[in-house]
Amino acid sequence: MTQQTVAIVGFGTAGVNAAIALRNNGYEGKILAVTDGPAVPYSPILTSYYAGGQKTYEECFPWTEAEIDSLNVEILGGCTVEAIDVAAHTLRTTSGEFAYDKCVIATGSNPVTRGFPQVEGFEPLVMRSMDDAQALKDAAADPACKRVLVSGASMVALKTLEACVLRGLDVTLVGMMPHVLDMNALPAAAERFERGLEAMGVSLKLGTTIAGVKVIADDQAYCGRQLEVTFANGDVELFDHVSVAHGMRSNLDFIPAGDLEIDRALLVDEFMRTSNPDVYAAGDVAQALELISGQRRIVGIWKNAALQGACAGSAIAYELAGLPVPASCAFAGSISTNTIVVGDLLFISAGTIELNDDRRVEVCEKLGMLAVYIYEGERLVGFNQVCDNPEDRRLAYDAGGMLTLRIERALK
Amino acid sequence: MGLLKHADVYWKFMGQCTQCGYCKGACSSLENNELTLGGIARAMLDAERGASTIEDLRDAILVNAPLVNAVRGCFFCTSCKNTCFAHNDVCDLIYHARVDFLNLGLIPRESYSSVLVDQEWDIFTAYRAIHGIGYSDLTRHKATETSEAASDCEIAFFPGCSLAAYGPELTREIFACLEECGAGKVTMLDSCCGSSLKSAGFFERAEALCDRNASEIDAAGAKQLVCVCPGCANDMKRALGVRGMDIQVTSLSAFLAEHGFEMKKPLPETPLVFSKSCQNRDGSYLDETRAILGVGEETPAVFKGCCGAGGAVSAFNPDRQAEQADMKLSFVPDGSTVVTMCPTCTYTYAFRQMMSPRDIQSKHYTELLFENQFDWEKVFAQLGGMWYGEYGPWLAQVFN
Repeated sequence: MTQQTVAIVGFGTAGVNAAIALRNNGYEGKILAVTDGPAVPYSPILTSYYAGGQKTYEECFPWTEAEIDSLNVEILGGCTVEAIDVAAHTLRTTSGEFAYDKCVIATGSNPVTRGFPQVEGFEPLVMRSMDDAQALKDAAADPACKRVLVSGASMVALKTLEACVLRGLDVTLVGMMPHVLDMNALPAAAERFERGLEAMGVSLKLGTTIAGVKVIADDQAYCGRQLEVTFANGDVELFDHVSVAHGMRSNLDFIPAGDLEIDRALLVDEFMRTSNPDVYAAGDVAQALELISGQRRIVGIWKNAALQGACAGSAIAYELAGLPVPASCAFAGSISTNTIVVGDLLFISAGTIELNDDRRVEVCEKLGMLAVYIYEGERLVGFNQVCDNPEDRRLAYDAGGMLTLRIERALK
Repeated sequence: MGLLKHADVYWKFMGQCTQCGYCKGACSSLENNELTLGGIARAMLDAERGASTIEDLRDAILVNAPLVNAVRGCFFCTSCKNTCFAHNDVCDLIYHARVDFLNLGLIPRESYSSVLVDQEWDIFTAYRAIHGIGYSDLTRHKATETSEAASDCEIAFFPGCSLAAYGPELTREIFACLEECGAGKVTMLDSCCGSSLKSAGFFERAEALCDRNASEIDAAGAKQLVCVCPGCANDMKRALGVRGMDIQVTSLSAFLAEHGFEMKKPLPETPLVFSKSCQNRDGSYLDETRAILGVGEETPAVFKGCCGAGGAVSAFNPDRQAEQADMKLSFVPDGSTVVTMCPTCTYTYAFRQMMSPRDIQSKHYTELLFENQFDWEKVFAQLGGMWYGEYGPWLAQVFN
């Protein structure tokens, strides 16, 4: 009998977890992982910690080479998938064509710089990969680099900002929306967080955007130049570097139009199957059940990538063994959960901040914390919590864990 | 299958851990042993990878003192999980590590012999037998010499091991009150939720005990299970849920509030400080207890993880248990009454108070609601004394 092949496209959190689940569920056939990244994946959550000096390079890799080796995966590192042919069950890559029986798409997402003006001779920094983190680290290490502009107000922007602050840089944050964390926080929580950022010495320029960037030659400055940034509100300021965090985009370019059902990402069922029964998706490329809305959405967090990868791997192992996939393997759906620490500031959120006529908001301020609760009737559907006193941080974590559980339990 | 029975659990955890290290700051055991939760999973798998026999594996784990300390020093308080970006399930990890430890002979079975609550004799049943504490008249779903087994009980009352053993009058008073509520016939489930078995690594035995409890509830015909302790409520909710039983698990406080209960006496005049039970994972028990006592959020609560009694840590490292209890009590100001939700927390604090007295009162919330009280002085005297009196040789034989 010909050996079966499971192809994993992308070998980050979701891909590794798919491989783990395949092996844990008795699959002994070939696993082929194709990745344009390294054979041993890094944690994108930790890259900013490396840039900021909180983690060593080695500490950013959640799995060792020995651990990855023990999964017995054939890894094509530094290899890009150019196209998937779902009818022929093949992948066309920069290293040749490969056949598969089942395929897991786990290509993740990449930062976008959309909205940042094209500047000849200048590329802004972004934050996702180890190379991105290294670039920020290198820039910060140069004594001539003193002033950095971070554009964006998301979690990634704030972690980039923290890395810059830890490196002793003078940081300004510019955000299009009136508040930071606009995808995760309601204004009361965001304002408290912003006060904390300002207390750390960060300058905030919210509700405006970068209108233009001009490169000015200056022998005494970082890389022999300075950046003259014009903001949409008319302000003009000089910076040594700019880092852009304008969101993420799922990596799906290799999927021919119409071959798989795609909304913002690949639509999947409870076993992470796409519209083609032999192709699965997990992580930032998958639109799976989000429990509060009841819709299929991208919830791009580490745990989802891990659980969805594991779900796909388990389901494939059963299917290739000719067995029905047990309900226990299903992805139960998720809610958005986020925790971010920036200096002494801690922000925790879970659930939704989408408001409608059925939802009400309660704000509660106690000790060194501010909590915003979102209720639908009597049911908690979301919360934000900001803690700016390190002494209360443990309590904030406990309260955050407690509230997250309440939301999850109510959904069950 | 490899040498570790639960290698799949460690792999699963490894897959989900970012290795960010935040969990270390939430737990003195992880911090002292310089291990993250993912590091525990990694160390277990590393040991297996380097071993060709069970003996090799056992030796590899045994020489890794930080691993042994971290696995056995866990209270299951989930403080680490709360700091985890991914909210990874520490309990699943440590429970299975303890099962593997037990299978490998790394946990001496005799260290837990007194809390193997699925056997005829454990510390609670022995204490009750010696001191004549029994509830056969209240366990109505079981036949006695004078009565048939009832199968039409609406309510099953679950006091838990500590309350049933050390507070018999209080247990009976609560039972009587439940009957007076008029919600239907009440029976008492005189059993354990199995948490001590799980803590010791006897996961399958704990599940078997849950099966037994579920069967009893089914036989009683109960629609609702009223739990005194949040830990019991957690375990029973999970156990009944996975068995597909549609039984409403309710805290005693919520049940009493729903049935218009009035407190039997005024609250103490000393300031109250709640000790949030770590088993009260979502905090609902704390809210319900505050509500039935008629106090609001202005009455403070100490979180800070476990009281020290969780995870059977005392059987491995009694000093760690004492330090944890003292740490948590250190947030209770002198002159206050610390109000607990789990009777085992009450026991633990009372014990610490006996060892190093402070000007604080330790009360279980039921002691504030009802007339009867725990008499800890008497309980500790009886617990200590029973090893030396006429039952001493029998106890020594049973528990060694």
